[in-house]
Amino acid sequence: MKSNDTAIEIKGLIRGYAKTDAVQGLSLNVAPGQCYGFFGRNGAGKTTTIKCLLNLLRPHEGSVRLFGMDPKRDDVSIKSRLSYVPDHVPVYPWMTIQQYFEFLASFRKHWNTELENQLIDQFGLDHARKVDQLSRGERVQVALIGALCPEPELLILDEPTSGLDPVIRREFIRTIIGTYQDADPENRTVFVSTHLISEFEGLIDEFTIIDHGKEILTANTEVARSRYRRLRSRFKTEPPKIENEAIAKTSVEGRELDLTVIDKADEVKALINQHQPLEIKEESLTLEDIFLINAGKQGGQNVIKN
Amino acid sequence: MFIELNYRSGKAAYLQIAEQVKYAAASGSLLPGDSLPGIRPLAERLEVNRNTVAKAYSELEKEGIVEIITGIGCIISKSNSPLKKSVRNKLLEEAVDAALVQAHHLQASEDEFLDIVRKRMKTFSKRDLRAKSDSKK
Repeated sequence: MKSNDTAIEIKGLIRGYAKTDAVQGLSLNVAPGQCYGFFGRNGAGKTTTIKCLLNLLRPHEGSVRLFGMDPKRDDVSIKSRLSYVPDHVPVYPWMTIQQYFEFLASFRKHWNTELENQLIDQFGLDHARKVDQLSRGERVQVALIGALCPEPELLILDEPTSGLDPVIRREFIRTIIGTYQDADPENRTVFVSTHLISEFEGLIDEFTIIDHGKEILTANTEVARSRYRRLRSRFKTEPPKIENEAIAKTSVEGRELDLTVIDKADEVKALINQHQPLEIKEESLTLEDIFLINAGKQGGQNVIKN
Repeated sequence: MFIELNYRSGKAAYLQIAEQVKYAAASGSLLPGDSLPGIRPLAERLEVNRNTVAKAYSELEKEGIVEIITGIGCIISKSNSPLKKSVRNKLLEEAVDAALVQAHHLQASEDEFLDIVRKRMKTFSKRDLRAKSDSKK
């Protein structure tokens, strides 16, 4: 059962509803120990993909593998190795937190009670409280504790932080880094689907941007940040027209020119310098900037593939 | 330790951490024997992947700037003298390079640039003197 090359492998996944294809040919690989970002706007096909991973939906075409296994055929052994935190946490209103955890633990071979108590204290929760009296943030915290106590190899998070206040959001992310990842960094894999990208900026090793069911871009985070550059320059008079295939976005404001450049920043910089700018500044794009440049392209080609 | 990450800098996050530690060690704000924060607390505080911090620390160990001692943590090396001068020079070179790039964009000549450097050095040494005489009072 040990040492699979990939935690998640998706190949040419197609899955639709009625007449529309929610996912139209998606492929990606997640290596064990990675924190993988799955970015897309609402309705881009993220949740449909996750449902295929969890055997809640079957692919129409293509394949999905977790730890090298088929979600349908090996449902039980796959589920024993992963936890899932959905965007809307299902709760059983009559249960207390204590009963809820006992219920969850009954499906698991392994449950770390010490960790449960530690996180309950850390989040300021109380085992005796009724689940239906919890705030949205507290429900997510309870779901997170429920996901972490089985100490799974893979943690699948679907829009985990949307609708959370900043304090709970930060605590959530720190718990993923510290409590989850740090306990066994080589083998603890995170797959997080979100459109709130900046919160996960520091965590993501590699990511896929999906839009209208299609993969727009898959890249290593550091590589992407080094390839996507923003060149801001100021001129004495109206900025010149700079044309180059590497320019992904141009905006002009007064005497200032703001270019987003992929890969060939030096080449474009040389073009700008020919027009004697008063000032030129170069910076990297953040993951969120990279997302904004790419989402809404509607099934464009992959710019970076590695 | 005041480590801060800037994702717009274009420098890999682990290198930013490593360089800030090097800078602190070279400038004396971290002294030999001082310990760096643990991987987990620093990763939590910076909200980065714990592997990023681990990579930064192992990079620092490889360069002999820190020693990683099991059960104790990451300690600034006692023998970090060989790095000091070269690291200091390297850091200084980077800062000067940035200023030179700016000078180029502002179309300042070499003489103008050096003139400014000298003037600034004088300003700082005056301030230094004033600070010293103030502290004597």
